[in-house]
Amino acid sequence: MTEQAANTDVWVVVRCFNEAQVVRKVIEELRQSFPNVVGVDDGSRDTSSAEMVAAGAVVVRHPINLGGGAALQTGIEFALLDPDAQYFVCFDADGQHCVEDAVSMVERLRRGEEDILIGSRFLGSAQGMPRNRRLLLQGARVFERLTSGVALTDAHNGLRAFTRAFAERLDLQMTDMAYASELLSLIKSSGLRYAEHPVTIRYTDYSRAKGQRSINSVNIAMDIWLHQALRGRRR
Amino acid sequence: MTAIKIVLVLAIIAMFWAFRNRSRVGLRAGARLAAILLALVAIVSIIDPTVTQRVAEALGVTRGTDLLLYLLVVVFAATSLGFYFRFRELERRLADLARAAAIREAVTMQGMPTGAAGSAVSEPATDRQG
Repeated sequence: MTEQAANTDVWVVVRCFNEAQVVRKVIEELRQSFPNVVGVDDGSRDTSSAEMVAAGAVVVRHPINLGGGAALQTGIEFALLDPDAQYFVCFDADGQHCVEDAVSMVERLRRGEEDILIGSRFLGSAQGMPRNRRLLLQGARVFERLTSGVALTDAHNGLRAFTRAFAERLDLQMTDMAYASELLSLIKSSGLRYAEHPVTIRYTDYSRAKGQRSINSVNIAMDIWLHQALRGRRR
Repeated sequence: MTAIKIVLVLAIIAMFWAFRNRSRVGLRAGARLAAILLALVAIVSIIDPTVTQRVAEALGVTRGTDLLLYLLVVVFAATSLGFYFRFRELERRLADLARAAAIREAVTMQGMPTGAAGSAVSEPATDRQG
């Protein structure tokens, strides 16, 4: 019971690339609900690592910048070294997610009805979302349904929570942001139960400036398509 | 439908098939044999430049240079895809390497992650290292 209340069996993975301005506050907020936070510094050139350590996170530092997918994989692999870790949460470093959402996702996983929960800003709310971002995400949704077979209302949401069963299967090979689509394919092929969970996304000036450029979706879509069309036999 | 159209469409289909099955040893051997064959064809067409013209006419292409251009496009596409996958494989290996180094460093500096014990990590194993 105390384990559940204190969330000591939960690891939160925060990927971070040059987010020194905001990451400390994000991790401090997280630490009020989750004692175990691993910050993956993806080769930042600023003081992100020091900020994360100061906020009480365990920091794993990539010697070079590898990309979002690789950083997430690193965080999960590190957290899996803790044999008592049962639940894993992915949380963005730029402050667009709410800790309360992560808490309620873990509570929902504890009920044991799902193995994977994916945040959806369309079931929840998105504060100050630019209109073109909304359109782009609608397109991404259709794309995901076609390529991975997973039907979601919000295709690319960084807030996710899953059980150890899925974490152990996680093997992201797309290092850059295309990992989000790869993750959905992994969910589909794992056969584990997944669901969406309503979350709130706060679009701040900072996250809008730091976020991906919309045109990058073309690169992502192309990579995913090539990956799937020419997948080849795994060695 | 001239013969060249069939040849080129088949070549593109064959290319996709080959990349889907790119890890087969037989295919990699085939690619090397094709390279040798290409070298032989090059030598023949240097010695007798009219060969390309005659082959072109047989396939329904007006000029020998056009035939070479068409084939070059196919070869270029195949080469580009080959490099794309090569680079991606390298990128993946680089990520694995960097990840292993990062996790090792984190464990040596901060200890193994042991969330249930209260503090996020165990004591670093500094005394055990020389």
